Amino acid sequence: MKKVLVIDDNPTIVELIKYAVNLQSAFQVIVAYDGEEGLKSVYAENPDCVIIDVKMPRMDGYKLVRCLRGDTRTANIPLIILSAMTREEDQMTGLLSGVDEYLTKPFKPGALNAAIERVLLLTPADRQRRMDYLLQTHAERE
Amino acid sequence: MVHELLRLRRLHILLVDDDSGACNRIQQALGSDFHLYHAQSLIEARQHLVEYVPDIVICEVQLGKESGLELCRFIRNIPTLHYLPIMLLTSLTTLQDKIAGFDAGADDYVVKPYDARHLMARIRLLTRMKNLEQQDE
Repeated sequence: MKKVLVIDDNPTIVELIKYAVNLQSAFQVIVAYDGEEGLKSVYAENPDCVIIDVKMPRMDGYKLVRCLRGDTRTANIPLIILSAMTREEDQMTGLLSGVDEYLTKPFKPGALNAAIERVLLLTPADRQRRMDYLLQTHAERE
Repeated sequence: MVHELLRLRRLHILLVDDDSGACNRIQQALGSDFHLYHAQSLIEARQHLVEYVPDIVICEVQLGKESGLELCRFIRNIPTLHYLPIMLLTSLTTLQDKIAGFDAGADDYVVKPYDARHLMARIRLLTRMKNLEQQDE
């Protein structure tokens, strides 16, 4: 059974995510309620996918993503940000940090499940291509 | 003229590492798209920051008897350097090391050994991201 780690400081949102991800597929859902606890859980549980909130105590979601992407042991774990921060700049910060998908709250269970299916299929080469694309976009904007 | 413009667009990096070979290795890894300044101690790094603000600071955590985390705290306590991106590039890999790095004010934490292409990308993405943050406030 695939293992999904949910990192969000709001227990109600966590329950909604747990309900949503088990609507279509059977996942083992594990939970952490802040960034540091989430980081520890990644190393302890080795999840197949991580769903991360942005605004959290102790370590925000962007930093958590960068921390995971900066270590070869965790650089290719599928990562999804699920955040109430909806501005384009927020999404760009998430993508530049290295997240695979950026979803906003409120979310539809179908959209979350589709995102999980997409990120589970990504390869390291796919991530490298995305990084190259972001760099190209970055160069054009400078 | 074109070369001059290209030179101006290169990112300026302050590398803080007490290993004298680190600068050469990173310069080789990054190629000619970056201007690299090397400080081997916290005193040198602080002096450099007073004289010139780079686009990004890349810092080892273990600097002999000193700690790169002290430099992170120094930078974060100076208002004019608030948006200066800090990347810790280190061989320290434990969870506690990473948490301490972010607590000290680092924006990114990259574990050695690094892939050159990956490092280059992360440097550019981090500077871009901090620019976005600055424009946002």
